Amino acid sequence: MKQRSFLSTSTSPDRAYLRNFSAQAGAVPQRRTSSASKKKKENKFKLFAVGLGIDMPFLITVILLLTIGIIMMFSASYPVALAEKGNSYYYLGRQLLFACIGLVVMTIASYFNYHTFYRLTWLICGVAVLLLIVVLFVPSETGIHRWIDIGFTDLQPSEIAKFAVIVFFAYWGTKYQDKMKYMKYSLIPGMIVFVGVALLLFFEPHYSCIVIMFCLVLFMLWFAGMSPVYFVAIIGLAVAAFVIAKATGLLGYAMERMDGWGQALIYTTDEMWDATWQTRNSLYAIGSGGLTGLGLGNSRQKYLYLPEPQNDFVFAIVCEELGFIWAAIILCLFGVLVWRGIYISQRSGDTFGKLLGCGLSAQIGLQVVLNILVITDWLPNTGISLPFFSYGGSSLIMLLAQMGIVLSVSRTSRIEKV
Amino acid sequence: MANKQRTIKDKLRALSENIQRNFKLRSNILLAIILIVGFGAAICRLGYLQIFMADELQQKAVDQQLTDTTISAKRGTIYDANGKILATSASVWRVVLAPVYFENDEERRFVAEELSEILGIDEETIYEKSQAKLYYSEIKRKIESDTREKILELQDEMKEKDINPNVVFLMDDYKRYYPYGDLASSVIGFTGSDDQGLSGIEYQYDKELTGTPGRLITATNAQGTAMPFQYSQNIDAVDGHNLVLTIDETIQSIAEKYMEQAIEEHAVYNRGVCIIMDVNTGAVKAMASVGGFDLNDPYTLPESALEEIRKLPEEERAAAESAALSKMWRNKAVSDTYYPGSVFKMFTAAMGVEENLVDESSTFYCPGYYTVTGQTMHCHLRSGHGTQTFRESIKNSCNPAFMQQGEKIGTELFWQYYQAFGFSERTGIDLPGEANDIFFSEDGSMLPVNLATASFGQNFAVTPIQMATAVCSIANGGYIVQPHVVSQILDDEGNVYSTTSTEVKRQVISSETAALIADILEENAVSGSGKNGYVAGYRVAGKTGTSEKKNDSNGDGVDDYIASFCGFAPAENAEVVCLVFFDTPTGDAYYGSQVAAPVFAQIMSEVLPYLQVATQYTEEELAQLDTIAGTYVGLSVSDAQTAASADGFTTSVKGSGDTVLAQVPGAGTPIPQGGNVVLYTDEDSAKTQIEMPDLTGYTVYDVNYLCSLYDINISITGATDSYLCTATSQSIPAGTMVSPGTLVTVNFTAGGFSD
Repeated sequence: MKQRSFLSTSTSPDRAYLRNFSAQAGAVPQRRTSSASKKKKENKFKLFAVGLGIDMPFLITVILLLTIGIIMMFSASYPVALAEKGNSYYYLGRQLLFACIGLVVMTIASYFNYHTFYRLTWLICGVAVLLLIVVLFVPSETGIHRWIDIGFTDLQPSEIAKFAVIVFFAYWGTKYQDKMKYMKYSLIPGMIVFVGVALLLFFEPHYSCIVIMFCLVLFMLWFAGMSPVYFVAIIGLAVAAFVIAKATGLLGYAMERMDGWGQALIYTTDEMWDATWQTRNSLYAIGSGGLTGLGLGNSRQKYLYLPEPQNDFVFAIVCEELGFIWAAIILCLFGVLVWRGIYISQRSGDTFGKLLGCGLSAQIGLQVVLNILVITDWLPNTGISLPFFSYGGSSLIMLLAQMGIVLSVSRTSRIEKV
Repeated sequence: MANKQRTIKDKLRALSENIQRNFKLRSNILLAIILIVGFGAAICRLGYLQIFMADELQQKAVDQQLTDTTISAKRGTIYDANGKILATSASVWRVVLAPVYFENDEERRFVAEELSEILGIDEETIYEKSQAKLYYSEIKRKIESDTREKILELQDEMKEKDINPNVVFLMDDYKRYYPYGDLASSVIGFTGSDDQGLSGIEYQYDKELTGTPGRLITATNAQGTAMPFQYSQNIDAVDGHNLVLTIDETIQSIAEKYMEQAIEEHAVYNRGVCIIMDVNTGAVKAMASVGGFDLNDPYTLPESALEEIRKLPEEERAAAESAALSKMWRNKAVSDTYYPGSVFKMFTAAMGVEENLVDESSTFYCPGYYTVTGQTMHCHLRSGHGTQTFRESIKNSCNPAFMQQGEKIGTELFWQYYQAFGFSERTGIDLPGEANDIFFSEDGSMLPVNLATASFGQNFAVTPIQMATAVCSIANGGYIVQPHVVSQILDDEGNVYSTTSTEVKRQVISSETAALIADILEENAVSGSGKNGYVAGYRVAGKTGTSEKKNDSNGDGVDDYIASFCGFAPAENAEVVCLVFFDTPTGDAYYGSQVAAPVFAQIMSEVLPYLQVATQYTEEELAQLDTIAGTYVGLSVSDAQTAASADGFTTSVKGSGDTVLAQVPGAGTPIPQGGNVVLYTDEDSAKTQIEMPDLTGYTVYDVNYLCSLYDINISITGATDSYLCTATSQSIPAGTMVSPGTLVTVNFTAGGFSD
């Protein structure tokens, strides 16, 4: 009903989208009721199939990854928790709490009408930008301003920012879906958003998030329908830049500057040894795992050799304990999640849902790939967490909330519901 | 062409528009990129690391996770024949730094400063070491327990300061310790800084003594504390085997004592050697290369050598020092060769007898020289010995007689016997650095003149151990035995690991020949050229030797001489062989009979009673035999006098008391028969002291007279059969204040230049 009132007051292109949406929203249940009234009745009694029903494969994959993630985070973290906090269960307890909160948030989000985000786009963007600015002024001992203490946990504004970017381009792509072929509506706003966010992240600094942002903006513009010509151009430029950097030796210089990126095993100086400590021990852990692993709980590298094994490098311990086979299986699970998220979103009834769902799903895939490349020393060690596995309150809650949104999208999706 | 290009362009444009219009296609393309490129790359990378790099990475991980600590094995102990410890390893510690655990420079500075103070090492050196990313960096070795206490205190202090205590740790170590210092130094040898044997037995038996170091492999976390996972392995150190030597500390000490005295007395320039060997087993009971060096401090040269080095120009000092060190460490008994000289005549004689070329009835004429192929060689007695029997020729040590015997034997036989007596090969004694002999040719061929000189032991060189082994064969009935210094190897629990059994290599001469030669040598030691080697009460056989080295090592303008004596006792059923030789005596005397024979007598007169060799006195000797003084203290003067005369002593009473308060010599002291016991009857008289007179240079008669004047008892050793014998040494130096009645041992040596 709210939507209708919103519709009546709006004269912008939004109106067209919402009109379209309300027609669909109305149409889908009608069609369902008309085609199979019995089925609808059954759906009512299914736990998660209330209303239009959510996608069970996606939900199951999320729960599976979350479970494995928490177990492995615990396994990786107990020695360091004991050493630093005096309590082996410190990280596990907190992560479980966050997971519970996250699951509640996810459930709520799955019931939440995601179209609301369309209207809240500017608010979300405003909050995200505000937080990105505020975080720069939070005092920090290390000179790295990434977290805002919000009492029970730390909030990472960049997590909000990533969501905001997805929501923004979902909104933009919906609003100007017919004009995306023009540079003015696609490439230019994309560049503006990226440069703006990147600047703020630069001051944190949070370089890895800049990389993620770059990819996210690209992904969203692609989903939104920017001309492939531009992508060819951008990728061409990126490749050219890489080749030039490599040829001129700038790349090597950059690698050295970025904490000895790619040089974990060939350190030459004591500074380099210190700088590559975490990555080197990550490689030791991964390599030690071999094909079948040392067995759950049997990691040695977690005994204070690999610093912060509960965070970005948790998957290194996974590799050490479970081996390559299970590491690959877990990666496949992530792949399934990404595929299912996009599959759901493709079948969403409206453009906003499609863009939002695809963006959120692709973001998971992006994070996973970048995280693996970081822990294997192919990308600089700059703090990219692994979804579901890495310890972190705000990011886990945020992640599950986003999964909730994808589930919410799945309610309007024309897919087979269990 | 243009058309075709256009169609491709058109197709591309159509595709592009299609992609733009079709969301599903677009999103599928990106999904594919993420899954194939992204996940594909991630899985490939993981696979590469976990499959192809696995071994290398795991090795590196294990390297840092496992702390591999070497546990030093205790080096085996070296015992003498009676179980006295000659070399042992004592516990010490080594200080090790694990600088990887340092967290900041402040900690490094603190630890460097403290360690520098405790260990006396330059602070900067430690500070530099503390900057390496290492788990093991040795700072100092072989610290003693007091230093260890200080290190433990430092560790406590570090704990208080919140410095990882694993930064500095101690490891068990051992230090070699030689309780007897310089005793048998060149035989026992010493070890280097890594406990590795560098010379002597320490080197020869290094493998047995070393043992196997153990390893303690523990998994540790990055802080160096134990990691709770099953990856610790403890391989115990196996301590080295212990050695029991045939060397007897007592005999060795006796030998070294008299050798040292003689070296000083005769200003011997190139040290001296004494070998005492069991004739039947080849067990070396003493092997002394005197002067030796302190095994606990083997790199310190004696002051005299240092003085000579200081005289050299700066640039030559280092070379001179190392030369002096290796000379000091050298075991002359096995590593040096010498011209055996007249000692060798016993072998020439044995060859002739064994081959029936000479016998007791053979006579030899000595006009004072002998000419071989136009070359005239003189006898040491220029006037000549005239006609002598075979027996006399040995006793006279007559060179022309032996040149004639050599001629009879001939080159071929001489070489065969030379080989058979073991001179042409190394004895194979279990000591390092054994030298080869130096003969005229490899195959034994020689000129007649060579044979002539060889027959009296000149112009070829053998090692002292070869000579001692060969003399054993004369003493034991003709058998060449394997000389050895290690009798048993015990494991670390004291069980016998291996025992050296007597190895008889071959019989060279018949027992009859050996007995004849031994008999002649015994006579020689009593009344011949070897009489200075005579030991009363024991049937000693021996032969002197003086040889020219034909070079001048000390630069005194005179060719160097070697004075030697080799003999055994008893002459029948011999037990020990003793070889004594002095390399380059620079004093007035240089003949074997003057320099070496008395030392042989001194050594044997202590060694033979110690070995409990049965005494066989001549009647004359029996008359002079020592009697043990009884206890006369506490008796009345008259009772004491009665008791003393019953024991065969005269008495002299000092003081005016009635009761004997003290006696000199004390109860239990052996005194030659007819000796004088001084009885003290009051306290004043007991304090009387007299000055020991200088007895050297006097004849036996004079010495006896002097001592009776002084109320001093004398015990006579050495040659006393003629008035030519004079006292050469006395056990209590002249000028010492002694109580009347004190017993002094005086050694007599026959004069004259007999060789």
